[in-house]
Amino acid sequence: MSAPSAAPEAGRTGGGPILAAAGVTMQFGGLRALGDVSFDLMEGQIIGLIGPNGAGKTTLFNCLTGLYAPTSGSVSLRGERLPQDPALVTEKGIARTFQNIRLFPSMTAEENVLVGRHVRMKQSPLSSLLHGPKFKRSEAAARVRSGELLNFVGLGRFSDELARNLPYGDQRRLEIARALATDPSVLLLDEPTAGMNAQETEATRQLIFAIRDLGISVVVIEHDTKFIFTLCDRVLVLVQGELLVEGGPDEVRGDPRVVEAYLGAPPEEVEARLYSSAAVDESPGGAHRKEDGP
Amino acid sequence: MLATFLSQIVNGLILGSLIGLIALGYTMVYGIIQLINFAHGEVFMVGAYGGLFMFTYLLPTFIQRQWYLALPLLLVGGAAVSTVVAVLMERFAYRPLRGAPRLAPLITALGVSVALQELVRNFYPGATAALPFPRVFVQGTWEIPVPGGTVPLRWTGLLIIVLSLVLAAVLTAYVNGTRMGRAMRAVSQDSDTARLMGVDTDRVIVLTFALGAALAGVGGIMYGTDLGFVNIDMGFQNGIFAFTAAVLGGIGNLRGAVVGGIVIGLVKALGGQYLPGGTAYDYVWIFVVLIAVLVFRPQGFFGESERVRA
Amino acid sequence: MTTTSPAGAPPAPRPAGPPPGRTARLIAALGPHATVLRGAGGLLTLIGALLPWATFVLNKGPYPDKATLQYFVAPFGVTGFRWQLLLFGIAALVLALAPVPARGRLLRGLAWGIIGIAVVNGLFITVEGGGLGAITVTDGSVACGAVVTLLAGVLVELGARAGGIEPRPVWTWRFGPWVERAVLVVVYVLMLFVVAATLTSGGTGGAANRYSGAVFLSFLAALGGAFAALHASGLMTWVATVAERHRVFSVLVLLAMALALPLTAAGNEYWMTVAANIGVYAATAIGLNIVVGLAGLLDLGYVAFLGIGAFVAANLSGAAAAKFDVHLPFALVMVISAVIAGMFGAVVGSPTLRVRGDYLAIVTLAFGEIFVRTAQNNIFGLTGGSNAIPGIPQVELFGTRFSDRIAVAGIQLPAGVLYYLLIVFLVAIVMLVFSHLKESRLGRAWIAIREDEDAARAMGIRTGPIKIMAFLCGATLAGFAGAFFAHKTGTVSYESFRFTESVTLIAAVILGGMGTVPGAVLGASLLFVLPEKLREFADYRLLLFGLALILIMRFRPQGLVPDRHRRAELARDPADEPPPGGSTAGSRAEVAA
Repeated sequence: MSAPSAAPEAGRTGGGPILAAAGVTMQFGGLRALGDVSFDLMEGQIIGLIGPNGAGKTTLFNCLTGLYAPTSGSVSLRGERLPQDPALVTEKGIARTFQNIRLFPSMTAEENVLVGRHVRMKQSPLSSLLHGPKFKRSEAAARVRSGELLNFVGLGRFSDELARNLPYGDQRRLEIARALATDPSVLLLDEPTAGMNAQETEATRQLIFAIRDLGISVVVIEHDTKFIFTLCDRVLVLVQGELLVEGGPDEVRGDPRVVEAYLGAPPEEVEARLYSSAAVDESPGGAHRKEDGP
Repeated sequence: MLATFLSQIVNGLILGSLIGLIALGYTMVYGIIQLINFAHGEVFMVGAYGGLFMFTYLLPTFIQRQWYLALPLLLVGGAAVSTVVAVLMERFAYRPLRGAPRLAPLITALGVSVALQELVRNFYPGATAALPFPRVFVQGTWEIPVPGGTVPLRWTGLLIIVLSLVLAAVLTAYVNGTRMGRAMRAVSQDSDTARLMGVDTDRVIVLTFALGAALAGVGGIMYGTDLGFVNIDMGFQNGIFAFTAAVLGGIGNLRGAVVGGIVIGLVKALGGQYLPGGTAYDYVWIFVVLIAVLVFRPQGFFGESERVRA
Repeated sequence: MTTTSPAGAPPAPRPAGPPPGRTARLIAALGPHATVLRGAGGLLTLIGALLPWATFVLNKGPYPDKATLQYFVAPFGVTGFRWQLLLFGIAALVLALAPVPARGRLLRGLAWGIIGIAVVNGLFITVEGGGLGAITVTDGSVACGAVVTLLAGVLVELGARAGGIEPRPVWTWRFGPWVERAVLVVVYVLMLFVVAATLTSGGTGGAANRYSGAVFLSFLAALGGAFAALHASGLMTWVATVAERHRVFSVLVLLAMALALPLTAAGNEYWMTVAANIGVYAATAIGLNIVVGLAGLLDLGYVAFLGIGAFVAANLSGAAAAKFDVHLPFALVMVISAVIAGMFGAVVGSPTLRVRGDYLAIVTLAFGEIFVRTAQNNIFGLTGGSNAIPGIPQVELFGTRFSDRIAVAGIQLPAGVLYYLLIVFLVAIVMLVFSHLKESRLGRAWIAIREDEDAARAMGIRTGPIKIMAFLCGATLAGFAGAFFAHKTGTVSYESFRFTESVTLIAAVILGGMGTVPGAVLGASLLFVLPEKLREFADYRLLLFGLALILIMRFRPQGLVPDRHRRAELARDPADEPPPGGSTAGSRAEVAA
C-alpha cells in the first residue's frame, strides 16, 4: 500500500477542532432521532461512533453531510458553518461512504473515482465539447490521481472493472477511494467493515490509519466494538439519539452506562465478549438496514 | 353571466367525475407497485369499444331498445373487457419486470398503450374514424332555472356524476373495510414485509389492476353514452387528464383522485370559457396545472411528502 | 445436467442448467447423431433451394425467384433467396464435416437464417396464394421448397444443439498497425455494400414490385443468420477490438464510407431522401440519448425540440408564410434554431430541480403536448397552425441548390445527394459532440446521476444544474437537426411533432442501446427504414413499435449495441499490461512531471 504522492489539501488550523457539531437535534414528526448532540473532531483524529441499532448514527452522518437539515443546532468545518446541500458540503471538504454500498454500478472503478474528482476538476462546458489541450491536461491529471487512489486502497489492478463486478470487500474499498478523490479534510465512514471477514477487517483498519496519516480526520460508525476500540482515538456512544458517553477507548469500554445501555448485559459477561473476537453485530446488513430509510 | 358560469361548472363536474373515476385506477396501481400505468387510459378506451361491440353484435334488438336493460349489460360488459385486458397486461407485460430498473416498466407501459390503441384501430371494424356510440340512457336535459337564464344538465351527465361518486365510495369502503383491502394497503406500504406476513402479493396486484380497470370500463361506457361517439384517442387524452388528477389529489390517495378529477374538469371547462384562447387552449391549461402541481406540490392535495433516502 | 459425449468426440462441457425438459431430453438423445443431423440439414437446404416454392403464378404476378428446376437449365441464373439458401446449405455442410472452433454456435446462426428465409417466403406465398395449397400440392404440381427448407433449418438447429454449443472463441491476434487498418478498411467497405444491399433489396416497393416487403424481409433473415454466425465465430468481437485500438482511423473510414453511399446501388434520389430523413432522426435520437441514455431522465416530449428548431428555421428562411421577413444564411439559421431549442430545453428541464423520476417523465410529456396544442393553434402566428409553413426555400451554396442533381468528376450523382452529404456531416458532428461530452467531467456526472442520484450529490455533483445541462444539450442537438429538417422537407407542420414521434425516438434509443452512439443511429435507421420497406404493413407500424418496446424491455433491455464497458470487458486481455513506454503511461508521466 503506497501513499498517494500528492497529499490531499489538508487545511491547517491552529489546534482548533476541524469539525464541530453543536447541539445537533433532528426531529422526524414526533420522533426525536437526535437530541442535542455535540462533539469536536480534532485534526488527524479518528473518532468512533457506536450505539445500538436505531440510535441515530446514520442520521447524525446525514446531518453532518447536509443531506438532512438539523431541526436545531449547527455543524461547522474549521469554524465555518456548513451549507445545507450535500454537494456543497463535499466541496467544502467532507466526504462519506454509505452503510449499504452506493457505488455507480455500471461505471468502472476508475470512473467511480473520477466522479469523486468532480468537485476538484475544472472543465467548462465548451472545453468538454472541444477536448482542447487544457481539457486533456485536466483529464490526464484526474486519471493520474485516480490511479494513485486506487493503488492506495489496493484496487490498482481493477481500475477497468465495472463496480458491480467487484467483490463485496473491494466495493467498500472503492467507495473509500471515491470519497478520498474529493480531497476531503474529514472522512465519514459508515460501517466500513460490515460483512467483512477478520482479514479484510484488519486491512481496513490499516487503510484507515493510512488515511489518518495523510492528515485526514476520520469518523467511523461501526458495530464491531473491538474494531472501534483498537482503531479510534476517541469514541462516542449514541443511545436513542442522545450522546451517552464520550472519551478514550479505555474510558468508554469501562463505563458501566455504556455496558448497560449499549449491550444490555451484566458487566462481566460484556467484558468477556468485548475481548473475544465475536462482533456484537450478529446480522450485518439485514437488521440495521432499518436505519437506512428515514 | 351566472347561467354561463354555472353551466360551465356543470360541464366541469361531469367531465371531472369521469376523470376521477379513471384516476382511481392510476392511483391504486401507483400506490401498490409505483408504476405509472400509462396504458390505463387505453383500458378505458378498450372498455368503451368492448361495450360497443357487445351492443352492436351481441345484444338482441329488444334489449337494445330498452335502456334499463341495455345500460347495465353494457356497463358490466365494458368493465369485463377492461378487466380482462388489464389482467393480461399485468401478467405478460408488467409482472416479468418486477425489480427491473424503474424506467423499464414505464417504457413498457408506453408500449402497451401504443399497442392497445393500434390493435383497436387495426382490428375493430371501422375504428380508423370515430364510431357512433348507442345512447343507452334517457336523452334530454334538465333545465335548472337560475337568475338570468337556465343551466342545462344532461341526464347522461347526471348519470356520470352520480355513478362515479357512488363507485368511488364503494371502492373506498372496500379498500378500507375488507380483508383484501387491508392486504392491498399492506402491499402498498411495504410489499416485501407484506409477503413475509403471508399476503399473496401477486394476487393483490392483479386485483388492484382489475378493480381499477373495471371502473375505467364503466367510465368508458358512460363516456360513449354521454358523447354519442367513441374514438381511438379518447384513452390517451383522458388517461393523461386522469393521471394529472391522481397526481393532483396525491398519488395513492383514493379521495384525492376524485377531488383531483373534479378540479381538472373545472379547469378545463372554466379555462375554456374565461381564459385567453378559449376552448382551443383548454387542454393547454390542464397541462399547465399538471406541471405546476408536480413542481410546487408534488405530493398533491392529500399526499404526504416523501423524504430523501440515504 | 450432464450428457455423456460420444466416444472419440471431444468432451463438450455443459453448464448445470435447469432440470431437463422434453426438449433437453430430445437433444440429449440426439447427441450421438449430431454430425448426421447437421449434414442432412445442410443437404436438405440445398434441395429446398432448388425445389419449386409456389405451385402457380400468384395473383400479383410471379413470385420472385419462384424456383423451378431452371437452375439446371441456367446454372448461374440463381438469384435472390435461393442463392442465399445455397450458400447457407454449403456452409452448413462444410461446418458439419470440418472441425471449426465453436461450430455449434455458427451452425445455430445459419439454422435460424435458413428458418427465417423459409418462414418469410413460405408465409408470403401462402398468404398471397390463398392457403397452404400454394406451397404444397395443387392440381398435381408440387411446390414443397418452403416446407423442405424449414425442415432443413430445424435439422441444422437440432444437430447444432445435439453436438453441444461451445463457448464463443476469443481471438487475440495482433498484427502490425497497417495490416490491422487494412483489415478494418476491408470490413468497412463490406459493411457499406451490406448497407446498400439492405436498402435496395426489394426495391422501393409499391406498384413496381409487389413483393418488395417479402424480398426485404427474406434478405433481413439471411443477413441476421449471417451476422449471428459471424458473431458466433468471435470474429466480430475481434474486429471491434481492433477498431477500438484504431479508434480515430475507424471513425474516419466510417465517415468516408457513409459519404460514399451515393456511389453504390443505393445512390438514387429515393434512397438519398430516405437516408437524409434517417439522418435527421438519428441526430435527434443522439440528442435524446444524452437525456435518456446518459442522465437517465425519461423525456416523453422530446420531439418538440425538433419542432422548435424547425419552426424557428422556417420563420427565418424567407418563406412567404413566415412571420419574419428575413432570409438568413442557412448556417446562421441553424445556430439560431439550436440556441432557441436549447433555451426551451433548459426551461423544460428546470422542473428537474424539484421533480424526480416518473413524475419528470410526465412533466416532459405535458410540455410536449403543450407544444403540439399551441403549434396547432398557430400561436402568435409563428407555426401556421393547420396550414403549416410551406415553401421554405432550398439550401443554396455557391449558387447550387441542394435539391439539384450534380456531377462530380464526370460522375452523375442523384438529386438530393447534397442534402445527404450535409446530413452525414451533421450527424458526424452530433456524434462527436455526444462522445466528447460523455468522456468528460459533465458526462460522468450525468452517468453518476443516472446510477445513483443521492450518491452523486454526496460526491459533490450539483445535480440540478447538471440535469438541466443534459436537457439543454439534448434540445440544442434536436434544434440543430430541426433546422435541417425544415429546409429539406420544405414544409413544417405541427403534425410532424406529435407524441408518437417522441415514442418512436425513445424506441430508437432503447432499441439501439441506451447511452451509445452507434445504438442511437442503428435504432433510428431501423425504425425509419422498416416503415419505408414495409409499406404493405404501414397500418401496423405503430402496433409493431408498441410490441417492440414491450419485448425489448422484457428480453434485451440493454438494446442491440451494448455499452462500451461491455465491449471493453470482452476485449480486455488479462496479460495485456500497458508497456512502460506505452501511450497512456507516457501521457500520465508527462503530466505528473
